[in-house]
Amino acid sequence: MAWLLAMTCAVAIAQQTLDADYRITGREVLAAFEPQRQVLQTSSAVILQGRKEIGYGVVISPDGHILVKASDVESLKDIDVMIDQTRYKGAKLLAVDPAWDVGLLKIEASGLVPVRYARSSALPQGTWVVANGATSRTQRRALAGIISAKAREIPPSGGYVLGLMLDEKEVGKIQEVTEGMGAERAGLLKGDRLVKIGDQAIETIEQIEKLSEILQKQQKNSQVEVTVLRGKERQQAVVALSSRDEMASYEGNRNDQMSGEYSIRRSRFPRVIQHDILGNRYITGGPLLNLDGLCVGMNIARATRAESFAIPVEELQEIAKRLLASQP
Amino acid sequence: MIPVRNLWFMFLLSLGPLSAQPERFPINDLKAPSNTADLIKIQEALVNALPQARAATVCIEVKDGTGSGVIVSEDGLILTAAHVVIGINRECTVMLEDGTKLPAISLGLNSETDAAMVRITKPGKYPYVKMDREQQALLGDWVFSLGHSSGFNKDRGSVTRIGRIVRIAQSTFQSDCTLIGGDSGGPLFDMSGRLVGIHSRVGASLQSNMHVPMREFLTHWQSLLDAQFIGDGDFAAKPKKGSGYLGIATEARKEGGLVVTKVGEGSPAFRAKIGEGDILLEMNGKPLTTRQELQAQLAEMAHGERVVMKVSRAGKIENLTLFLDER
Repeated sequence: MAWLLAMTCAVAIAQQTLDADYRITGREVLAAFEPQRQVLQTSSAVILQGRKEIGYGVVISPDGHILVKASDVESLKDIDVMIDQTRYKGAKLLAVDPAWDVGLLKIEASGLVPVRYARSSALPQGTWVVANGATSRTQRRALAGIISAKAREIPPSGGYVLGLMLDEKEVGKIQEVTEGMGAERAGLLKGDRLVKIGDQAIETIEQIEKLSEILQKQQKNSQVEVTVLRGKERQQAVVALSSRDEMASYEGNRNDQMSGEYSIRRSRFPRVIQHDILGNRYITGGPLLNLDGLCVGMNIARATRAESFAIPVEELQEIAKRLLASQP
Repeated sequence: MIPVRNLWFMFLLSLGPLSAQPERFPINDLKAPSNTADLIKIQEALVNALPQARAATVCIEVKDGTGSGVIVSEDGLILTAAHVVIGINRECTVMLEDGTKLPAISLGLNSETDAAMVRITKPGKYPYVKMDREQQALLGDWVFSLGHSSGFNKDRGSVTRIGRIVRIAQSTFQSDCTLIGGDSGGPLFDMSGRLVGIHSRVGASLQSNMHVPMREFLTHWQSLLDAQFIGDGDFAAKPKKGSGYLGIATEARKEGGLVVTKVGEGSPAFRAKIGEGDILLEMNGKPLTTRQELQAQLAEMAHGERVVMKVSRAGKIENLTLFLDER
């Protein structure tokens, strides 16, 4: 009898494993999201460079306007776009909203099916949301998750940076300009002396130490106006700001190290909703749908292995309107 | 002789109060949800269970970082992970989702399974969740996790994620609710909001999220309550006896007790406001008559442990609580 009991216990705690198809990312579970997947099939875009998937986009007009995550496509040439089963070549990046990291892409197309916007992004936590997962040439795949936390601002991670190193002895003197960052792109040079940021004069070591705060205060849409002294001449430039963790030299904290690849730009968003559709870093840019298949937002960052951010639909519509209006 | 049927009856009776539990969530018995209606059932259950689950989920601040935990009784008993609290009888701070900070102390832990208990030391009525005492959670059941990922963030609140139990092994559950640092010690719930596990660790894959099942807590409940250090595992290092430091010099008095002759600045005694001339009457309930008695007790204790000192000061008797520093 004792032996029998021992056996039952052993059976009860013997290792059991759920087949991958029945997990949250599994085929059988995701099959329940077929209606939402069909929306992704026609109203989300796959951004391609050659065969490589760079990310996704939100189709917002029948004649080929698409919203994308700007920082993931800005530096690319020859972007192609896949919508439903058609490949469109030579997409053009028309405009960028630097504050939200959203770009407006245009392809030559007609008769596309734009997303239908939900009235509000104010969904209770625990509400299902659906987004693009990896796709095949002809079929979009859905991934599902839930609203995970409160909508909020994501401040610059580690503070704002210009992308330069200052001399330790001479106040404001630029010792090095970091490749690819805002300062370099705005044309600042090694040897220039920083004299003004916005309307704040830079004169003392104390101000240099508080540069991040000054940048925070003086920024507008993630940009600041910088005045430098080059030789005896004053030069002005508009510098796009980055967060400290966007620098190539950033090594990541413990949570970053366990996250796999994450979006390079994953902070300094005025407001986001958070969900738990994770996948890899290339899952950003596409629409976030509710169970009605309506667009409640646009995926803008895979922040860590456990946190994804989306721009809420209210702001997304304003951004779309603004970017479209900026075109002749 | 009592007929067998009556025996069964008695047996059921004794189970009576326990079986007053919510029915099994119907979607759990499907291999997978098959349509939007099934998904809405999951969503409704989750949205219903979340407010109470969130209210009871706490952030635990310890010396070197933060983890999560969950309150399981009205008077503030908390379940968490051993690697969050690291040791027994340690001071920590518990934060509710609204930012309320509460003093707490770690009770027992199991260094082999990663189970641990904490108690809020400020008396009060706290929001709490029910536990899956009958251990009904099965492979494939839908679950949700809560935790203060990467530490407390008031604007964000605790973070919830959905998944299923994807593996059940000897002393661990695996779910596909993705976890990250800071979630450790946080709760895993079934769809009715009953606690089924505590977050323990993650692997490289997004689906590799390990939890301590309720069984590991229930089996060792009394030892955990009694602040026992269980096992010889990797989740917490066994405290080294004699590593604690009090920070006072004393002399024995003829009338009993020890008179404090010196207090080290910044020491645990200093922080507990013990002063020169105070008379120590008892330590942890044991009378003090010689310096050796105090030394002998200290030799049996480790740093981080709690000491209750009965002190006579200007004729008034007080009980002071302090925590030993590392020598």
